Amino acid sequence: MSFLNPFLLYAGIAAVSLPIIIHLLNRRKFQRVVWAAMRFLKVSVEQNQRRMQIEDILLLVLRCLLILLLGLALSRPVLSRLAKSLFGSQVTAVLILDNSYSMGMSDGTMTRFDKAKKAAEQALDTMPAGSAAAVILASDIAQPVIPEPTFDLNLARRTLRDAPLTDRATDLAPAIERAIDTLQRRLLLRGEIYLLTDGQSSAWRQLGHIQKSLDAVKNKIRAHIVLVGEHEDHNLGVSELRLASGLTPVKQPLRFEVRVTNYGKDDARDIRVTLNVDSDPPSDEFTIDSLPAGATKAVSLFAKLRSEGFHSVTARISEERLPADDKRTIALRAIKEARVLLVDGEPGAEPRDSETFFLRHALVPIAPDEAANYFIKPTVITGTELASARFDDFDAVILANVAEFPETTTRNLENYLRRGGGLVIFPGAKVNTAFYNDTLAKKLKLLPATFGAPRGQADQDEKFFTLQEKNFEHPIVSIWNDPASGTLSSARFFRALDLVPMPFTQPPTNKTTTATAPAPDAGEPRVILRYADGKPAAMERDFGLGRAVMFSSTASTRWNDLPVRLSFVPLIHRTIGSLIQRRDEGLNLRVGEKFTRRAAPELLGKDAQVFKPRATDAVRDLRRIEMLGGWPMFQYDQTDFSGVYELSVAGAEPPVSIRFAAQPDATESLLDELSAEQKKMLASVSHLVEWGPKFSLKDQVARERSGSEFWLPLMFAALLVAVAESALGQWFSRSK
Amino acid sequence: MPDLAPLLDPATISRAESLGLAARFIVEGYMAGEHKSPYRGFAIEFAQHREYTHGDDTRHLDWKVLGRTDRYFIKQYEQETNYVARILLDGSESMRYGSGPLTKLHYGKMIAACLAYLILHQRDAVALAIFDTVLRDYAPRSDAKDTIHRIMARLAAFEPKEPTNIGTVLHDLAHQIRRKGIVILISDFFDDEQKVLEGIQHLRFGGHEVIVFHVLDPWELEFPFTGLVEFEGLEAVPKILTRPAEIRKSYRRELEAFRTRLRDGCERNQCHYVLVNTAQPLHEVLSGYLAFRLRTTAK
Repeated sequence: MSFLNPFLLYAGIAAVSLPIIIHLLNRRKFQRVVWAAMRFLKVSVEQNQRRMQIEDILLLVLRCLLILLLGLALSRPVLSRLAKSLFGSQVTAVLILDNSYSMGMSDGTMTRFDKAKKAAEQALDTMPAGSAAAVILASDIAQPVIPEPTFDLNLARRTLRDAPLTDRATDLAPAIERAIDTLQRRLLLRGEIYLLTDGQSSAWRQLGHIQKSLDAVKNKIRAHIVLVGEHEDHNLGVSELRLASGLTPVKQPLRFEVRVTNYGKDDARDIRVTLNVDSDPPSDEFTIDSLPAGATKAVSLFAKLRSEGFHSVTARISEERLPADDKRTIALRAIKEARVLLVDGEPGAEPRDSETFFLRHALVPIAPDEAANYFIKPTVITGTELASARFDDFDAVILANVAEFPETTTRNLENYLRRGGGLVIFPGAKVNTAFYNDTLAKKLKLLPATFGAPRGQADQDEKFFTLQEKNFEHPIVSIWNDPASGTLSSARFFRALDLVPMPFTQPPTNKTTTATAPAPDAGEPRVILRYADGKPAAMERDFGLGRAVMFSSTASTRWNDLPVRLSFVPLIHRTIGSLIQRRDEGLNLRVGEKFTRRAAPELLGKDAQVFKPRATDAVRDLRRIEMLGGWPMFQYDQTDFSGVYELSVAGAEPPVSIRFAAQPDATESLLDELSAEQKKMLASVSHLVEWGPKFSLKDQVARERSGSEFWLPLMFAALLVAVAESALGQWFSRSK
Repeated sequence: MPDLAPLLDPATISRAESLGLAARFIVEGYMAGEHKSPYRGFAIEFAQHREYTHGDDTRHLDWKVLGRTDRYFIKQYEQETNYVARILLDGSESMRYGSGPLTKLHYGKMIAACLAYLILHQRDAVALAIFDTVLRDYAPRSDAKDTIHRIMARLAAFEPKEPTNIGTVLHDLAHQIRRKGIVILISDFFDDEQKVLEGIQHLRFGGHEVIVFHVLDPWELEFPFTGLVEFEGLEAVPKILTRPAEIRKSYRRELEAFRTRLRDGCERNQCHYVLVNTAQPLHEVLSGYLAFRLRTTAK
């Protein structure tokens, strides 16, 4: 026998002495009477003394027994299995159902998720009448669909049956913690946790922590872990899909990079990879001849976007037993044209001497007679014309060796960036570094860095330095990780200004972001590209909705020969693409992440409809557009499924329709199972069972249950004793 | 001078007088007067005739009857006579008990005082004896009017000190009292009732009429205590700690049995037994008893 509340047991045992103490104290508390008729009194007392003593002892024993029974009942004693049939065995359980996408793995007839649901229902069936159950859906988050245990087991059953399979990854620790917390908040006879999962090792990455948590409560809470996953050696998945092209112009072939990974134990052959835009037929496809176990292969596929606006692009491989990772979708916005303002700080005598000569050609890398039809429309002005330029007419502004500009222009530039414009700065001999550093960087915080000391000499070609050769992390330059894309390291730099990153402190998280307090405009400075010696060669910083990119050397050949290298064109294109796509960056997110996007002020207070992947047309979520960080924002956090989400605002003029996409976490595709050692660890703190052909959880659990609480019979016995004490007290105190 | 007033409750006195104590006490007396003697002899008032027997005084022959009927009849007279009432008051420690301000002794003193006053008022003689183990105080018989003051003074001055021994005292008195009369015994009789009855029997044997006033406090009769009580005896008895509510019936049974034995013993000895509850007004007790006595003795 054990006690759920042993403290009260000790208190009860100690309290048994109370009636005895009270009895002894009462014997010292009496009334004194001087009496004459002592002889009759003496005879009466002699006749009754023994009887009264026995009655006193009997009442005292009953009172002690009453206190003892109350103490016992309040200490919540639990009897062993033998007593179960006498007192019943109600259970309070938390069922944790893994609904990550690996649970979608099918054995041909049933998915793991179906098996888990079946096992969960069996768990409910094992519970005797009077039991209560809570339900938590576990993926990388714990989603309590029935947060507190309900006695309505049918509700729990229905909830389990209706539970959706998501495209989330798994981390079981939060769900187990939550279940333990739910049960610990109640003083229970028998708390049980049923965890129904597939035994995928990535879900147990916090196994040590889970083991500790379960071990700490194993005397009060019994965990049953049902592993429904059967061994699976074969799984292929699209592990990545991204736009390789820097820009997304309409009707231009765009290159997408699709990565396919073989998560299985065997080599895979003839894997057909297709790419399609929206719901169109595949625009491109490729067949991977062979993909060894554990290997990943990148495939370039092309597609064209037919119209301006939002599109979804999906890469697929042929469907397998785990369908969730067989396709991946991204959302992007097609642009009709990109207008770029080039500000030339040193036009030079000859066109070739112009600071923007190479930039202009890099932006429009086609024959002059076809330039009119090209989607990038550069406009070149001199530094002196900058004051009269209308920045809002352009998607990006490139300042090439511009010395400085007046304050009004500075303000216009700041507002332009805040509204979503893009700014690229190339230094040069004419640049007034003090103006850039003090005004643009330190005062307005537009720039990611300040210009530091120059290094190298421009008028010689013996001493030079080069760009990094590999390990490109930034998306703008990541294509050069692939040697097939060429190299940046062949360019020679004779002179450059050091980029000294601006200090930055991370603003408070979103939790503290209020509706009206403006979010800070300046984002974290990031390095795009480094020199071989590790010094930054190009940096960027977000500002408002816009972004500023800062290079450390010239856009002309005055300080380096990069402009005449092949890689200059994609570098500039990708830089401009990065600036233009800045406002669309949040379109692609991980499953489960929250989608946020700034909305036009006139949409504030309106409801946005969101169509989810898999949902029928009739099912849509409504979200009110509210102020956040000083701006009206779209927000949507129910991104449990991978695929494209469509957001529209009814009644908005012009119509608002945005697409965004959620991609699953590729780690969930890894089907590595728990090792024998890990299972042993789990079995030491839980009842671990594995799904088999004739699986019956009921028998297993019945053997496991080891006790029943019987405070109610004790309380009833205490009541009986109280009644008996009261009746006997009355009876004994009657005159005899 | 002890305070006598409480002992002479005017209401009690007037109530007893109104009942005409003189007309109701039929006792043997030597003062011819208002009282009729139950001892019929040759006195003033004719009572009845009886046949002459040898030895009768011929002076009392009814000559008229002899002349008419030729038979010898003696004239008998009812003699109005004075009597001696001896009031014996128990002054033992047990009489000191009283649930209220009035103790049994106090009540007993009042009974004694009232009776003494009334008897003296009728020119009869009264003697007072207060006793415990022995005779503590004695006022010899007297019919003088001012005797009442002496009696009152003795009553008021008496304070109990000793336990009871009624039987012995009664035996001693029976030896000492020559002249027959009424013995009024006022006590709670918390003593060996057998010895008490033997003493009464002794008095009766001496030709005395004995009236027993059994004085008990209402709490002694009812035993109303609750809770845990330690009883301390008035007459050197060990203390008793008990819950009286639980033994009330038993106590009452014992007390009732004692009373029954005492009353039955009195009846056997042809004594009047009067239970006096000190909660009752004294005049009720006295007038009740005197009315009863009148009923039973006025033949």
